[in-house]
Amino acid sequence: MKLTLGKFIIGALVFLAVIGLLRFHPWSDKGTVVDKKDRVHEGPKNDARQSLTVGYLPVTCHLTCPVTDFSSKTTKTNTNFNSQRFSDFPTVVNALEAKQVQATFMIAPLAMKMREDGVPVKICYLGHRDGSEIIIAKNNKAKSLRDMKGKTIALPSLYCNQNLVIHKLMEDQGMQPNDINFVILPPPDMPTSLAAGAIDGYFVGEPHCAKAEMNGTGRVLYLARDIWPNFISCVLVVHEDLIKERPDVVRDLVRGIAQSGQWAEEHRAEAAKLAAPYFRQDRKVLDYVLTSTPHRVSYAQLTPTDADFQKIQDMAIKMGILKKHIPMSELLDRDFIPENIVAAPIPLDKIP
Amino acid sequence: MKQQRSKSNFLLPLIVILGFLLVWYLVCFFKMVPAYQLPSPGDAARSIKEEILAGRLANDIIASLWRVTIGFVLSAGLGIPFGLWLGQHARSRQALTPILNFFRFLSPLAWIPFAILWFHIGDKPAIFLIFMAAFFPMVISIMTAVASIPSIYFRVARDYNYKGTELLTKVTFPAVLPQIITAMRVSYGIAWVVIVAAEMVGCQDGLGYGIWDARNGLRLDTAISYMVVIGLLGLAMDRLLSQLTKLPNIRWGYDR
Repeated sequence: MKLTLGKFIIGALVFLAVIGLLRFHPWSDKGTVVDKKDRVHEGPKNDARQSLTVGYLPVTCHLTCPVTDFSSKTTKTNTNFNSQRFSDFPTVVNALEAKQVQATFMIAPLAMKMREDGVPVKICYLGHRDGSEIIIAKNNKAKSLRDMKGKTIALPSLYCNQNLVIHKLMEDQGMQPNDINFVILPPPDMPTSLAAGAIDGYFVGEPHCAKAEMNGTGRVLYLARDIWPNFISCVLVVHEDLIKERPDVVRDLVRGIAQSGQWAEEHRAEAAKLAAPYFRQDRKVLDYVLTSTPHRVSYAQLTPTDADFQKIQDMAIKMGILKKHIPMSELLDRDFIPENIVAAPIPLDKIP
Repeated sequence: MKQQRSKSNFLLPLIVILGFLLVWYLVCFFKMVPAYQLPSPGDAARSIKEEILAGRLANDIIASLWRVTIGFVLSAGLGIPFGLWLGQHARSRQALTPILNFFRFLSPLAWIPFAILWFHIGDKPAIFLIFMAAFFPMVISIMTAVASIPSIYFRVARDYNYKGTELLTKVTFPAVLPQIITAMRVSYGIAWVVIVAAEMVGCQDGLGYGIWDARNGLRLDTAISYMVVIGLLGLAMDRLLSQLTKLPNIRWGYDR
């Protein structure tokens, strides 16, 4: 068979058509393939009349998001929650600005920065307490942050609470702000950078700390709770339009997260098992984070208080990360938090 | 003789590939670098199997092929006519070359925030990024090819009274066809390279997303298996496009 231009064009069109058909499955009744693929568990969705997509990153600070997703599909709920995994915070910010997601988990100072920049978002709940550590190389003899003078420590973002807290600790130990050299690194690269000796330590949320410990290359210098009791790194951020237009969905969401947090607190090993396929992470690492000690991360007392956020804001303004004081009433919205929080009745035998 | 030659054509690259795999294997086997810095070929193979069995790999391949193909067809569909037109109009070429070059040098990574803000999440921002990366080099190389057609061709064409469309289809287009094929192959290469960056943008599937996701999931073995698939598919697509050079009305450009 001789190849001609006509045949080539026909071939290209056929290729395009086949790929298009495989991509969009026009014969299947509804929804995109994307949606289906990411659904780890397809439950009966009893009487859920509405649904909402909630953004998260695969870190244990956002653990309650996949738990709420799972819970909304296996128990009786009014709203079906679909968790959407992102891989970095700048993308989450853009998606929230474009209203592609209207509720998402996010590092607290970044949410405050968005509010300062005029994006109408509110902090409705917390993701967790504690859950971060300062990790240094295993053979490093340092006993306190003071011993790390002149060293390089990596942080996940300028707008993360870790950045504020470590500066507070330096102040407490009588150090100058430039005594430690800070670099911003994507969290997944931190354990390897530490092992390779490119950095001397890092301060980030789990499971990126546990990874270095399990590799045998790092050890914990400080748990976040040692520096700042009831440490907060990530919060639930909701777009004001959603609060105005569908307050009942927001109420369901906050209740769902509160109940999921309580459930995770009581069923730590099961929570690791449930989250692993959502995070697409090794279950052993998550299991280590959740079960080795309850001091690593906690999912109780998740109501955001004025005092917590005033403290974060004051620190951030002092460091020049935020510019203006925003009244707490504008930043926080506690109206949706349920009075009695009971653990979500997740059927343990349904966890894949 | 001919058969022997085609055998060695096949054999030599195979030896190089096997040698490469052997070096990789030995580096891991003798622990020259720690396992967390370089997963072994065995780990990569196991994770490929895992991804295939989970059905993710097929879905990711389709998603990526779709985005790259659409991005590429758009940039070829707009870039080739535009390049042909610019090549024939010296004044417009003079006016537009600097701005085309300006955009050519912008990395698709720089467009990511705008891609999300303008095209939201899913296929569209990724296609936009692929288009931005592939379009400008395509226009510029075709424009240059047209501009360098020997003027004698056009003098002869004037004798035959060729004008407008006829001039384009009978003289310009055939004269630059070999260069168009090359430009398409190069652009397709760029489009395929950009896939990893393009799928950082709020995609939920695709080969590039697979790499980002593996990184986030602290699974470098999966990242390597996706890299292998991206490389192999890129190779296969280029082989397909290179078939175009065998077309009878193009062959002259290659038979030297």
